[in-house]
Amino acid sequence: MQTKAAKRIAVSLIALTVAGGAQACEFKIGAAGPLSGAATQWGMAIKGAAEFVAAEANQRGGLKVGGETCKLQVVSIDTKYTAEGAAAAANNFASLGVKFILGPMGSPEVTGMKPLANRNKMIMFSDSYARDAIGPRWPLTFHMGPGPAAWGDPIVKLAKEKFGIKSALTIAPNDQAGTDVAEVAAEVYKNNGVTTRLEYYQRGTTNFAPIVTRIISANPDVVDTVSTPPGDAGILIKQLRQAGYQGVIGRLGGPGTEEILRIAGGKDVVRNFYWFEPVYIDEKVRKLQQDYRSLLKAEPPENNFFYLFVAGGRALTQAIEKAGTHKDAEKVAEALRVLQVSDPNLGEGKWIGQKTYGIRQELSLPFGIGLIENGEHKPDLRVEAPTDE
Amino acid sequence: MVEIVSAGLIGLSLGAQYALLALGFTLIFGIIGVVNFAHGGFYLLGGYVAYACVSMAGLPYPVAVLAAALATAALGYLFELLLLERVIDDHLSTLILTLGFSLVITTGIVLVFGPDAPLFQFPVQGVVRFLGIIVPLANIIVFAICFAAIGVAYALIYRTNFGRSLRALSEDRAVAEALGIRARLMFPLAFALATGLAGMTGALVTPILSLTPHAGEPVLAASFLVVILGGLGSLGGATLAAFLVGMIEAYAAVYLGGSKGALMLFVLVLIVLLVRPTGLYGRTARGA
Repeated sequence: MQTKAAKRIAVSLIALTVAGGAQACEFKIGAAGPLSGAATQWGMAIKGAAEFVAAEANQRGGLKVGGETCKLQVVSIDTKYTAEGAAAAANNFASLGVKFILGPMGSPEVTGMKPLANRNKMIMFSDSYARDAIGPRWPLTFHMGPGPAAWGDPIVKLAKEKFGIKSALTIAPNDQAGTDVAEVAAEVYKNNGVTTRLEYYQRGTTNFAPIVTRIISANPDVVDTVSTPPGDAGILIKQLRQAGYQGVIGRLGGPGTEEILRIAGGKDVVRNFYWFEPVYIDEKVRKLQQDYRSLLKAEPPENNFFYLFVAGGRALTQAIEKAGTHKDAEKVAEALRVLQVSDPNLGEGKWIGQKTYGIRQELSLPFGIGLIENGEHKPDLRVEAPTDE
Repeated sequence: MVEIVSAGLIGLSLGAQYALLALGFTLIFGIIGVVNFAHGGFYLLGGYVAYACVSMAGLPYPVAVLAAALATAALGYLFELLLLERVIDDHLSTLILTLGFSLVITTGIVLVFGPDAPLFQFPVQGVVRFLGIIVPLANIIVFAICFAAIGVAYALIYRTNFGRSLRALSEDRAVAEALGIRARLMFPLAFALATGLAGMTGALVTPILSLTPHAGEPVLAASFLVVILGGLGSLGGATLAAFLVGMIEAYAAVYLGGSKGALMLFVLVLIVLLVRPTGLYGRTARGA
C-alpha cells in the first residue's frame, strides 16, 4: 500500500516536473515605438499588437519551439520617435535578452535601431518609409507596409478622378522621417501629371498659422500631409480651414484618421480627404478588435497600424516555431524569409523589396484607400497587396 | 499685401500668447530666482482642467478658463509652499524639482486622460474677413484676452502693494524682509500668479490648436527663448521679446518656409545675445 502511494507521489512529482519544465520556457518580444509625443498613436498600435500576439500564443498554451512550449512576454519601450530613443531602446532590449522586436515606426527610429539590432543579433520587424528601411547590410531587419512608391499610384489616380486635382503641396517635418516620404510622395504625384511643391516645417511646431498663410498663397488643389504625425496634421488642417482654404486634403503617409478628424474638428471641417489605409478594414479585420477585448480585457488601439503589426507579429511567431529556436535570430530570419504569410484576418501576404531595397524582406498585404467626400465618410476601397517585381 | 498683413496679425497673436507665458516664467525667476521647468506642465494642466470642466462637468467655457487659472494657481501655490520653499536657495534642487514636477503632471495627465488628443474646440467659430484677409474669430478673442491679462498682470506688479512687495523682494530680499515684507508669504503667491497665468494661457490656446499630453514641452522651449531674449527676470524685456519672437516667427515662416523660418528665429536670437549677452533688458545678476 505504502509502495503504491509512494509510486503515485513519484509519478505525480515527475509529471509536475515535466509540466513545470515545459512551462519554464519563456522568452521576450520587444515592442518599440513612440509612446509619447505627437506620434503616440503609432507606438500604442505596436505595443497593443505585440501584447495581442503574445496573449494569443499564450492562450493556445504557448509557442512550440523545438521540444519546448514557450510562453511569450512583451517588453515595450518608448522610442520617442527619435534615432537616439530607438538606439537606447535597442540597447535595453539587448540587455534584457530580447531577440525579436516589433517596431519601431519612424524613419529616424529605424535608422537608429538597425545597426544595434544587427550587432546584437536581434530581428527587427519595423514599418517606416525611410529610403533605406531595409537592405542587404541589415539581414535581420524586416519591414512591413511598403512605402508610397508601392501604393501611392492608385490613390493619386483616385484623387484625380474624384476631385480633379492638378496641383499638390506636400508638407512634412524637415527631418529624415518627413523628407524621405515627402520626396517619394511628390514623385508619385508628378508621375501622375500633378504639379507638386514641397514644404517642410520644424518638428515640434504647434502653431501652423504662418505656414498656412504660405500654403494659401500657393493655393494648391490638394495639401498632402504625407507622414506628418496625426497630432500635427490635425492642427494644420484645422488652421487651413479656419484661414479659408477650400481645397482637398490628402495623406500619402501613415494613418491616424480618427485623431486627425478629432483635432481638426470633424468630417465637416475636413470635408474632402483621401488617405492611405495600411490595412483594408473588413469584418474579418474588425474581428481583431473583439478578440483583443476578450483576450486582454481592454480597448484595442485606435490606430490601424495595430492590425498590420498583428500580422507581422504572427508571422514572426510562426517563423520562430518553424525555426525551432527562440535564441538564434539568424535561423528565425531564414525561416521568416520563406514563410508563406496567410494571416487569418488580413489575408495573403507577399514578400517584396528586391527592386526597391535590394533585399526581399518587406511584407506586403492588401491595403485600403480611405475617402471623405463633401463631409461624408465613404467605405474604404480595397487594393490587393502591392508588388515591386 | 494680404500676406504682409496676415503675417503681421499672426505675429501679434503669437506674441500675445508668448508674452502671457513668458511673464509668468520671468516673474518666477525675477522674484524667487527659480527657473521653472514645470511652466509648460502648468500650461498643459490649464488646458486639461478647462477641457474637463467643459466636456465632463458641462460648464461654460469662460467659467472653465477661470477654473483652469484658479486650479493651476492653487497647485502652484501649494507646490511652492510645500516643496520648492524647502530648497529655495539651492538652484540645482529647484531645477530638478520643477523638472520632476513637470514629468509628474504629464504622466498624470496620460494616466487620467490617455495619450490621445481629446476633442476640445473653442466655443466661438467663424472668421472675420476684410480686404481679402481672413482671421478666425477665436484668434481675435484669445488675442484680446491675452492682451487684457498682460495689462492686469502689469497693473498688479506695478500698481499694487502686492506688486511693490514682490518687486522689493526681487531687488533685495534681505532689505525687503528687514522692512517687514514676508518672503515666505509672498513667494507662494508670486508662484501662484505665474502658474495661474500659464494655466489660463493653456485653457485659452489649446482649444484653438490642440490638447495633447505633451503640448507643454514646446511651450517651455518658447518661454525660455522669449525670456532669455528679453533678459531673465525682466517683465518689460519679456513682453517686448515675446512680440519680437512672434513677429519674426510669423514673417520668417511665411516668406522663408517653416524650416528656414525656424532657423532664422534662432539666428536672430543668437545675434542679439552676442551683442547683449544679458538679453534686451536683462541685468548681470539678480539682486535677491
